[in-house]
Order: sequence, then C-alpha cells, then structure tokens
Amino acid sequence: MVQFHEHIISDLLEEEPNSKNNGGLVILSSGLALHKLISSLLTLHSSSQGTLLILNSNPSQRSSIIQSLELQNFSNLPLEITSELSQNHRHSLYTSSSAFFITSRILIVDLLNSKVPTSLIAGIIILNAHNLTETCTESFIVRIFRGLNKVAYVRAFSDKPNGMVSGFGKTQRIMKCLFMRKLHLWPRFQVYVSQDLEKDPPVVIDVRVGMSGYMKGIQKAVIEAMDACLKELKKSNKVDVDDLTVENSLFKSFDEIVRRQLDPIWHVLGKKTKQLVMDLKTLRKLLDYLVRYDAVTYLKYLDTLRVSEGVRSIWIFADSSHKIFEFAKKRVYRLVQANGEKLTVPNKSVGNKKKKAKEDNSNEKEETNTTSGVVIEEVLEEAPKWKVLREILEEIEEERQKQAMPQEGKDITDYADDDNGIVLVACKDERSCMQLEDFVTKGARQVMRDEWEKYLRDKTGLHGLQARQGKKPRNPKGVGILDGKVPVMSRENVGASSVSKLEHDALLAAASCIKNLSKDETVAIGDDPQPQGGSKGRGKGKGKGKSKESQGNTKVSPSKEISTRITRKRKSTMSNVDNESGRSESNTVDSEVSREETEKSGTVNKGALRIHEEEVNAAEFAHVKPLPIVHFFALDSDQHILDILKPTRIIVYHPDMTFVREVEVYKAENPLMKLKIYFLFYEDSTEVQKFEASIRRENSAFESLIRQKSLMMFPLDQDGHCVGPTTSIEPQGLTSQNSLTRKAGGRKEAEKVMQVIVDMREFMSSLPNVLHQKGLQIIPVTLDVGDYVLSPLICVERKSISDLFQSFASGRLYTQVETMVRYYRMPVLLIEFSQDKSFSFQSASDIGDDVTPTSIISKLSLLVMHFPRLRLVWSRNLYATAEIFASLKSNQDEPDLEKAMRVGVPSEEGIIADDVRAETYNTSAVEFLRRLPGVTDSNYRALIDGCKSLAELALLPIDKLAELMGGQKAARTLRDFLDAKFPTMP
Amino acid sequence: SSVQSGQNRNAILVSHRQKGNPLLKYIRNVRWVFADVVCDYLLGPNSCALYLSVRYHLLHPDYLYFRIRELQKNFKLRVILCHVDVEDVVKPLQEVTRTAMLHDCTLLCAWSLEECGRYLETIKVYENKPADILQGQTDTDYLSRLSHALTTVRHVNKTDVVTLGSTFGSLSNIMDASMEDLARCPGIGERKVKRLYDTFHEPFKHDV
Repeated sequence: MVQFHEHIISDLLEEEPNSKNNGGLVILSSGLALHKLISSLLTLHSSSQGTLLILNSNPSQRSSIIQSLELQNFSNLPLEITSELSQNHRHSLYTSSSAFFITSRILIVDLLNSKVPTSLIAGIIILNAHNLTETCTESFIVRIFRGLNKVAYVRAFSDKPNGMVSGFGKTQRIMKCLFMRKLHLWPRFQVYVSQDLEKDPPVVIDVRVGMSGYMKGIQKAVIEAMDACLKELKKSNKVDVDDLTVENSLFKSFDEIVRRQLDPIWHVLGKKTKQLVMDLKTLRKLLDYLVRYDAVTYLKYLDTLRVSEGVRSIWIFADSSHKIFEFAKKRVYRLVQANGEKLTVPNKSVGNKKKKAKEDNSNEKEETNTTSGVVIEEVLEEAPKWKVLREILEEIEEERQKQAMPQEGKDITDYADDDNGIVLVACKDERSCMQLEDFVTKGARQVMRDEWEKYLRDKTGLHGLQARQGKKPRNPKGVGILDGKVPVMSRENVGASSVSKLEHDALLAAASCIKNLSKDETVAIGDDPQPQGGSKGRGKGKGKGKSKESQGNTKVSPSKEISTRITRKRKSTMSNVDNESGRSESNTVDSEVSREETEKSGTVNKGALRIHEEEVNAAEFAHVKPLPIVHFFALDSDQHILDILKPTRIIVYHPDMTFVREVEVYKAENPLMKLKIYFLFYEDSTEVQKFEASIRRENSAFESLIRQKSLMMFPLDQDGHCVGPTTSIEPQGLTSQNSLTRKAGGRKEAEKVMQVIVDMREFMSSLPNVLHQKGLQIIPVTLDVGDYVLSPLICVERKSISDLFQSFASGRLYTQVETMVRYYRMPVLLIEFSQDKSFSFQSASDIGDDVTPTSIISKLSLLVMHFPRLRLVWSRNLYATAEIFASLKSNQDEPDLEKAMRVGVPSEEGIIADDVRAETYNTSAVEFLRRLPGVTDSNYRALIDGCKSLAELALLPIDKLAELMGGQKAARTLRDFLDAKFPTMP
Repeated sequence: SSVQSGQNRNAILVSHRQKGNPLLKYIRNVRWVFADVVCDYLLGPNSCALYLSVRYHLLHPDYLYFRIRELQKNFKLRVILCHVDVEDVVKPLQEVTRTAMLHDCTLLCAWSLEECGRYLETIKVYENKPADILQGQTDTDYLSRLSHALTTVRHVNKTDVVTLGSTFGSLSNIMDASMEDLARCPGIGERKVKRLYDTFHEPFKHDV
C-alpha cells in the first residue's frame, strides 16, 4: 500500500466508531489506485461489524478490487448480489457479515420489501459518486437506510473530479442526499500524494514522433472544420462562448457543456445548430482516430461516415473536409493510368509525395490491371509511430542483453527479481493492441496489406463468401457484382466527371483479384497446414508453433482476458537466457500466445506474387534485431495489470493521464525497481494538447472543489445527524405536501398509507424515489402491463420525452397502450418532461404548414383517436408527477397487488405463482428481437422460449423458425432479413 | 339544406363562443364554420374538443367543469385542448389533469396557438386514418430496418451500423461475430463490443 492511501484511510476511520458523522465523500485524482484503496478497506472489515455492501460499482472495478485482494492473499473475497439470486439466498447473504457487491436496483427493492436486516449492516460503500444525483436510486437507498440505521457508515468515492464539478454545487447536493458532512479531497498535487509519488520517480523518456505530411494535413483540416463549426455555433447566439474553444472541444465533456447550455432551449434551436453539435462530436472522433487507426482503417471509417451521415452533416460539405477525404485516400492508394501515367487529380501535392517516398521507401507498389484503363496503386502509408516502436523495442532488448552479460556471474535469480525483462505497451483500445501485436510479429507491410485486402473486400461486398459458401444457396438480392466479375459499365460517361466511377471500378477489380487469390489460398492451406514449417527454424517458438486456425481459436475464446495479449519473439540464441532467467510469467502463461517469428497468416498472393512477397519479407527480417517479450494492454479495458505483469519497461503508445498516474503509484510501491517509461507523442498533434489539457482540467476541478469545500454548510438534526435533502430542493408544491411528507424516510404504519405498485424496471429512473419522498408506499414487482398501478382502475405507462419519440417510432407505444386499454378502466399515458429541458415539444416556428405523418402532433392525435379511453397526463417534471399521482389516487381504492401482477401474463398453463414472475430478461436482446421483421407481439415469446440467444437464432434453419413462429411467411421474412446481404458502400 | 350539411361534414364546426379566438387563424388545412354546437369544436360525429387557456383557468377554475358537464355523454372522444400560456404551470395543470381524468376527457397540451390549431386540424384530417403509422416500421428499406434493430443496443449509432454491416456482410454474421472481430471494427470501442456481444450471446432469459 502506498503511504497516502494509509492517510486517506486513517482520515476516514478517524470519526468512528459511533460518531455522529459516520461517513464521508472521498474524491481523489484519477489513476491513484482507487481499487486498492477499496480493497484495503475491505481487508480492514471484520465480520464482527456486520455486513458491508458496495454499491454502484462497474464490472471492471469489481474485478480489479478482487484482483488486488487476491494479490494480498485475502481469502474472504466479496461476492456479487444480483437479481439472479433468489430472495432467500439474498437474505442469508445479508445476514452473513461479509462484504458484497450489490446492484442498487436489487437493494432498493429488498429494502422496500423489508427484506434487508438493516441492523446487521455495518456500512455502505458507494463507488462512482460522480454519477449520483439527488434523485438517484443510491440516494433513495441511503435515505431509507438512514431511517432504519443511524450508526452504520456510508462512504462514497470518486476518482473523476471533473465529474464532481459539473453543474452548480453538485458535490454539496450529492453529499446532502447521502447525509454526509465530510469531504476528503486528494488531488495529485496534495502534499502526501506528491511526496510519495515523487520520491523515486521512474525514468521517463519522451519520444516525439513526427506525423506524416498527409496526417498533418488531415489534422489541420479537421481542426479547421471544427473551428468553422464552433464559429457557426457562436453565431447562433445561443451558447456562452467562453467555453467554446477548440481545446475544450477535444474532450468528450465538451458535448456536456454544450448540451447543458442548449438543452433548455433545444426545441427552439434550428436544425442547423443541432447538427453543428453533432458534427463537432464526429470531428472530435476523427482527430482521435487519426492517431489511433492505421491509414486504411481511417479511410474505411471516413467512408462509413460518408454513407451514414453524408446527407445531414454540415461539415462534410465544407471546404476543409474535402481535404480530409482527399488526404486520407492518398495515404492508402492513388489512381494511375494503366500505362503508368498518373491520373491527374486536383489537389495533388507533389511536395508531400516526395516527402513520403523518403519516409518509407519500403512502400510496395503493385499494379492491378483493370478493364477500365485505370489502376489502383497502393500507397499504404504506415503509422509513423510503428517504426519508432520497433526501434525502442530493439533498443530495450539490446540494453537488456548488455546488462545480462556482466551479471552472468552473479546470482541469476537476483537479477530476475529486479528485471524480468517484460515490456508493456499501453495503447488506447483493444483494436490497437491487436494491430500492434500483428505489427511486431508480421512486420508493418503485412499488417497494412491485410487491412487493405479487408478494406477492398468490405468495400465491394465480397467478404464472408468463403465463410458461408455452401451454406447459402440463395442468391441475395440486389448485388450482382459477385465473383469478381467487373460489372459491365456503361462507357457513355467516361468523361472527366467519371473519375470516381473509374476509381470505383478499379477498386472492384482490385478486390476481385484479391478474392480469387484468396480462394486459391484456402486450397493451398488445406494441402499444407504449415506452409512455413521448415523454412526457418527459430527458437523454441517452433515447437509450439501452431497452424493459423488454432491460433485463431485461442484468441477468440478468452473473452475476459482479451486485453492481455502476450507475444513472444526471440532468436534461438536468446531462448536459453530466457529460460534461465526464471521470468515471473507463471500467472499469465495460460493466455500466452507464442508464435513463430516469420509466421505469415492469411497472405493472399499466389505464384509469382508470393515469391516476390517472400523475398521482401526475407529482406525485411534480415536486418531485424531481437525483440523482448512484449505485452500489449488496452487502456480502455480499465484493468490494472501492472501488479500482475510487473513490467520494467513501459511504452506508453497512446498517452493517457490516468495510466501515467497508475505507473507512478506502481513505481512508488516498488521503489527498488528500475522502471523506464517511454512516451510516444506525435509532435505538434492534438494528442499532446489533449494530454496536457487533461491535467490542467483536473487541477482546476480540484481547485474549484477546494473552494466549494470551504463554503459548504450542512444542516444537523437534534442528535447531530446530518439532515438530508429537505423539501426546499423540490421546486414546487410547498402547499399541501406537508401533511404527506411527515412519513418520508420511515415506513411506520400510519392510519392509511397510499400505495403504488411499481414495475421493477422503473427503478432505473428516479420517480420511485420521488414518490417515496412524497410519502407514498412503493411496492416493487415485475409488471407485464404498465409501469405504475395507482388503483384497481388506474394503470400508468410513463414516458420521458425521448422514450416517447422512440417508442412511437418503434411501434411499441401502440402495443403498450393497446394492452393497457384492454385490462384497465383508466389507462394513462404519462408524458414526463425533464426540469432542465424545455416544457414543450417544439417551437411554434417548427410546426410547419402542413399536417405531416411524422410530426409528434400527428402521432399523438392518432393515438388518442384510436384509443379514446386513453388518458394523457402531462407532467413538467418528476415532482409534478408525484403530485399528480397523489391527487389521482385521492378518491380511489388501493391497488391490488395480486391482480396487477397477473395482468397480461399468458396464463394457458394456469400457473401464475410468484416465482414465475421472477425471471429476468436480457432486455436489450428481447427488444432487439422484437424489432426484427417477421417478429410480432404474438410470436416473440415462443422464439424466446425456443432458442437460447440471438446468436443461436442467427443459425436456426427456416423450418425450425417456422415451427416457433407459427407460420412459413413470418419465418421466411425473418430468415431473409437475417441473411440479406448488406449493400455495398458507394 | 343537404348540400350545406354535406360540406359541413368535412369542416370543423366551431361554436359561436369561440368567436374572436385568435386560434381560428391557424386552422388552415381544413375548412371551419360557425355553428350551434355545445362543444367548442365539433371534429367529427363522435369527437369534439373544448379549448382551455391556462391563464383563463387560473381566473375561472370552475369553467372547465361546467363546460364538460354540458357535453353529456354524446361523444366517444372528448378532447380538452389546453393552451399552456403561463410560466408557472404545475399547479393549474394538475387541476386540469384531474378534472379531465375524472370526467373521461382526453387532455392535449399545446404551447402555442399554432400548435392548438394543428391538433384540431390533424384530428379532422385524420378522421378516417388507420393507426399503421403508429405501429412502427415507417422506413422499410434494409438499412433503416437494420439500424432500427441494432440501435436498440445502447450507444450504437448509425455509423456503427454501416461499419458492422459492411464488415460482416449480413445481420446473421454480425450476430455470430466473435468479440475480437467486433473489436476490430473502427469506431466500435470496448464497451460497445461488450454490449453487442452480450446482447447476442447472453440468453434471452435467466431463470432464477
């Protein structure tokens, strides 16, 4: 444990036991190993205190907490309590005095059903405090819990300080609703923290890599486009311009800033302004992907964008965006006349071209003949960082060998402790990991070629043919360009304007060429499973060398460990040293993938081409120096592998503030280790800018929090307990509500408590919390019809505005209303607006001149005309909804639980016992299924019962589908849709 | 005369009480005529509407109740067209809602006279329209249908749909894809990969 962690914990524990202010909010800088802090707290938990519940954790946090407990050999690992455990089981866990992760939805339901022995709970830990709001389920939980147990502690944690300062007084409001008074701030610049981390700082080597000319061009063009969008946005006079800078717009939170300003007036904004906000988001992604993706993938992404956004986007038509597309294409290929002359394309920059040729002279130029007289010449620019990465790896290995020499005489295990030779390459995402791994094993050109072939295949819709050959008898509609036949193009428009047509033809031809080659390849591999087997014997990798297919398998299966990928690469001369050094890879050996150095998978050249390729490969590898063991790690996976791998060299391929902090903590915990870190930055790139800005932003968030802390005030009750949210946070309804709120927080039986039956799924929203605050008793169950049952007559389907639009579009609302009308005398559609957004659908000017079927007015009108018994309730916000519910209930009977649960459930089996309703659904899968053509309300249940998952459904033959769906026609519609060929991109 | 009544069948009949209501300016897509009707707007043989401005309601809280009582039970659809023309709307709207509920009326809120007019027009124009535009599937081309299904998975956007489609070739291939193959798609990050994969591979229901 690092020392400042001890400080944090002793600060927290100081107040206990039985103090009056038992709890606090801890905010620390990101990357300061919050998971270790929590696991330390768990090791300090003793069962004599009672049960400890951990709320609001995400899967990666859970796994890293458990992992760090395991590393400490702590045996009593926390289990997860989810809705999949039965109620009795849950109850026994609540009384077991150990620690648990629990989903908030289950805890609130159990609390409301009085199934939690609250006196046996020692405390609650809430993670990700930055996600909390005043009306969130966690605050609901704490309010009920506090009402029943005043001595247990409630501690909340966040390592996203930026998230704690968004919105006015957010931190104080969250603390209030959690009944907390103490705020603990631990920024990176805090004295203890910085002392700890800067005592033995690691050696840092900052490598600046120049971007290629085209990359610079693209970056410049994207920034220009962003700037133009920002200027337009400012012109709209709808937003506070101070925050609208290009720097800010590099961050995700920029969207939040803009949305927070625009949301209240979103309905009065023109289409253009809305589109500008969307465009900025897209452009930000383009900047990000520029440094993350290779040239081919980047081009593919741009193509995809053009297809999916083309019509709507503003930026796509801007001048600078033309350059983005042009440059991106030039990084991949150019068009040449068949006779070798260059096709004159505007904007060709000779300077760039020359420079490029110098940069990587290894560019292969292959010409593919086409009928149209124009050929594609491959450029396939490599990412400049690749070369540098290889150099660094070589350098590390050289260094290591040098070090190893003189130490030969010394005790070898000593050396191993200190330096296990493991090199970690940290990059942003899983995709980059896989690609860099390929790059290290196969060489840059091969990676680029593979991407290029994939690109051509995707572009022309020639993919997946091998996979589904024989399996797919029917010819999919609409596509006739199969089997490599270049379509008979009309020659009439071979004018100057048809360059793009020619280009498309040339691409098609190139693709068909590749496809035919790869067909042959499949045969070749069948004949000789290890084509490279004897060609080059290299080290012990050979023994384990597997054919391409089996490797594919190893890689697919470990879905959990997918991000820790290990590649070994060495010369035979190295293998002895490797073995003796006793590397600490025992815990990772399972997932290890070892390869032959020159393995070349999926090459698609044949005959002459292949020989050519081999030669080049040989040339490439002739000068290859030995490389160390490299582990690739995706930052996005949110895992913490430093403590497991114990690398001594870390290459930060995509700089990230959080990871840098993690490395600092890792170094502080291992002060004797000689740790060297390489940072790879693209020079003058937004990558650098973004990295630096992220540190500045966090610091200023902490400064603001420190200011807020000095001004915070919390009301106390007579016992010195913190008083949580008062009625003052409710914007409305100061009048009649006092009589109702007196029971809030408690569940004491008053003469008559109003009851509301609430569907389990609604606990994702805040309304149950607010209803409870209002003094209504909440009965959570699974409902098939409606979301809330107020009385035997009144059933409510609640829709937020976005829900309303969505469920109108999907047709779901219609069926929901239909069933409600069938079973209840007063079916209600509640349209609930959000307080921070406008109270209206649209401005008068947006209404238009004609009655159009797509307008929300038309849809609502049709709905009420077809269901004249449907009652609409329009609510300004959550609190207003609670008022309306209470008012509607005032002269009605209390709802009947048994009956409400039975409604709408098919009862042919006649069993509607409680446990039948205890199924939990994979809701997104069910929703997905219901949206497929051919699937209807009457047949989707049979499909769910008849096959396990969507993946299984995808493979069901039509007869089986027909049997489940009760008809050939529906089954045919579904099967056709599943197998329909995706149209090729223009 | 029968000619006139035939014409009036295609028109909104407006009560003389509504004379001077600026809303009438905005009924432009259908014809309207003044007539002796008990409701404010007679929209069809079985449907009628009462117009209520929230501002008026604040001055005369009982007005709505008396107007509804006059209607008796002659109509299947009884719309209260509520013009939200005050800022502080929560309390009056709650009263209106309650009155409408208790007396079997359908409440429609509108925030401008244009919107009020459009509701009246729409109900008249759509008098005999089936509900099929409410039953989903407005676009029937392949890409829209594919987007419609795939965007149920959270954070999957239209660009991702095109990426997935062009990479895997068909929906069944997408549904059968491995995590790694999904992760190789540009723009599909860690979390989307997981969400997509779980949607396709987690069982439809977990039995407890």
